[in-house]
Amino acid sequence: MRISSIGYLVKQGTTSVWKNRMMSFASFCILLVSLMLVGFSVLVGINISSIVSGIEDKNEIVVILHDDISQEQTDNLFVQIKELSNVSNVEFYSKEEAWKSIVEDMTEEEKSFMQYAENDNPLPDTYRVKVSDLELMDITTSQLKTFGGVESVQSPTEFASALVSIRNIVALVSSTVVFALVVVCLVIISNTTRASVHARRKEINIMKYVGATNTFIRVPFFIEGMLIGIISAVGALILTRFAYNELYTVLNDQLKLMNIIGTKSLYAFDSIALPVTVCYLAAGTLIGALGTTISTGKYLKV
Amino acid sequence: MVEFKDVSVTYSSGVDALNKINLKINDGDFAFVVGSNGAGKSTLIKLILKEIDATEGTVIANGYNLKKIRRSKISKLRRTIGVVFQDFRLIPTMTVYENIAFVLRVIDAPKKYIKTRVPYVLELVGLSDKMKAYPEQLSGGEQQRVALARALVNDPKLIIADEPTGNIDPELSYDIVELLKCINECGTTILMVTHEHNLVRYFGGRVINLDGGKIVFDEEVGGNNENK
Ligand SMILES: Nc1ncnc2c1ncn2[C@@H]1O[C@H](COP(=O)(O)OP(=O)(O)O)[C@@H](O)[C@H]1O
Ligand SMILES: [Mg+2]
Repeated sequence: MRISSIGYLVKQGTTSVWKNRMMSFASFCILLVSLMLVGFSVLVGINISSIVSGIEDKNEIVVILHDDISQEQTDNLFVQIKELSNVSNVEFYSKEEAWKSIVEDMTEEEKSFMQYAENDNPLPDTYRVKVSDLELMDITTSQLKTFGGVESVQSPTEFASALVSIRNIVALVSSTVVFALVVVCLVIISNTTRASVHARRKEINIMKYVGATNTFIRVPFFIEGMLIGIISAVGALILTRFAYNELYTVLNDQLKLMNIIGTKSLYAFDSIALPVTVCYLAAGTLIGALGTTISTGKYLKV
Repeated sequence: MVEFKDVSVTYSSGVDALNKINLKINDGDFAFVVGSNGAGKSTLIKLILKEIDATEGTVIANGYNLKKIRRSKISKLRRTIGVVFQDFRLIPTMTVYENIAFVLRVIDAPKKYIKTRVPYVLELVGLSDKMKAYPEQLSGGEQQRVALARALVNDPKLIIADEPTGNIDPELSYDIVELLKCINECGTTILMVTHEHNLVRYFGGRVINLDGGKIVFDEEVGGNNENK
C-alpha cells in the first residue's frame, strides 16, 4: 500500500471522529469513566495485595520445643520442618534470645529484679516458621504438632484466614468490575463506529463496486475506534494519577499511624507510572479495535 | 468477456430469478438486455459483480471463474468492471471531482495519476466545467454522466449499466447511450439493461430479451437512427 494511501486512511478515520462528534464525545466520556474505574479497581487491588503480603510476612507459626530435648533432636526437627512443602522459612529463636528481648522492654527496676532469675530462664526454645500459602496454614500447623520434641504450636490461623478472604474478595470484586466495564466499553465503541458506518454507507457501497479491498474499507473505522480509545485512555490516565495521588497521601499517613503497614506497602504512582500508562493505552486501543470489529464485521464484507 | 453456462438463481425467498441461462458476451460487444420488471435483469448483473452466487451453473467474467474465485480476488475482478446505476449513487457531500477521484484513491492509485486521470474522464463525458459542483447542483442527465465518468475512470474492460436512463429525461437518455456507444468504439464491452424500447429501436445492436428468468430472444437488431 502506498504511503499516500495510508495517509488517506488515517485522515478518513480522524475526520470520522470529528464528523460524528456527538457520538464520539459520548463514547469518550463513558470510556473515560470506565477506564478510570477499571484502572482504579486494579490499582486498589494490587495495593491491598501488597498490604496483605506485608502482613503475611509477619505471620509466623511459633513451634515451642520440649525443654529436655537434645541438640541433635533440635537440629533434626529443623530439617523436618524445613522439608514441609508449605514452609518458606524457619528460624531458631533460643530461650536466651527470648529472655533478652523481654528484659529489654522492662524498666531498670524490673531488670535488676529479673537478673536473678536469668539462670533459671522459664522460657522455651522455639522455631519461628513462615508459610508460603496462608490458606494452608491450618494443615501445616497440624503437621508440626505431630513432630517429636514439639511441646505445642501457636498459630494465628484465624487471622490468616481473614487475610485470605480479604484478598479473595478484592480479587473477585475487581475482576467483576473489570469484566463488566470492558463489556460496556465494547458496546459503546461498537455503537459509535456502527453509526459512522451507517453515515458512510453510500461511500462503502461505491467502494465495494469499484473493487476497494477489505483493508481499505475497514481501516478508517478501526482508526476511528482506536483513536477514541486512545484519547479516552490518556484522559483516564491523567484523572487516575490525580485521584490516586490524593488518596495515596491520605491513606499512607493513616495506615502508617495505625501501624498496619510498613513504609513501602503502598505503591507511589510514579513508581508504577510506566506499566500503568502502557496498560491504559493498550486497553484503550484494544477496546477500540475490538469494538469496531464487532460493529463493522458483517457490514463491511466485500 | 462474460459467459453464463446453465446458470440458475433461486433466492432464499424461493423465487427463481434466473433459469438455465446460457449467454456469451465477447470483448468489444455492445448488448442491450431488455425485459419486463422482475424478469431477472438485475440478478444477471449481480452475478457478474459477484454480489450473489449462482445456485447452479458457472459464470465466467473477465477471465475469473466466479464459482471458484477467492475472496481476496473479488476486488481484482471488480476493478475490471465499471458499473452505472439507475439512481446514480453519487456521494452528495463530495464535489464532482471528488466523487471520481475517490474511487481511484480507494483502489490505491498513485496521486499523480489521479490528478491527470480525473479531469480527462470528465472531459470525455463533457463535464469539465462542473468539476467543483456538487451532485445536487446538476441535472439528472449530468449526474448520470458523472456516474459514467466514475465507471470509466479505472479503465475497465466491461461497463455494466443497469437502467442508466431510468431516472432522466427521455431526450437526455439518447446522450447517455450515445456516450456508451462512443466508449464501446474504443474497445470497452458494454452491457446495458433497459426497458425503454425506443432507445433499443433507435440504436439497434445485440438485444437480449429476458422473460421470467429465461432468455427468449438474443439477436442483432438493425437501428433506425432517423426516427428519433
Ligand atoms: N434479494 C432478493 N431476494 C429475493 N428475491 C429477489 C431478490 N432480488 C430480486 N428478487 C426477485 O427475483 C426476481 C428477479 O428480480 P430482478 O433481477 O431484480 O428483476 P429485474 O431487474 O429484471 O426487474 C423478481 O421476482 C424479484 O422479486
Ligand atoms: Mg432491475
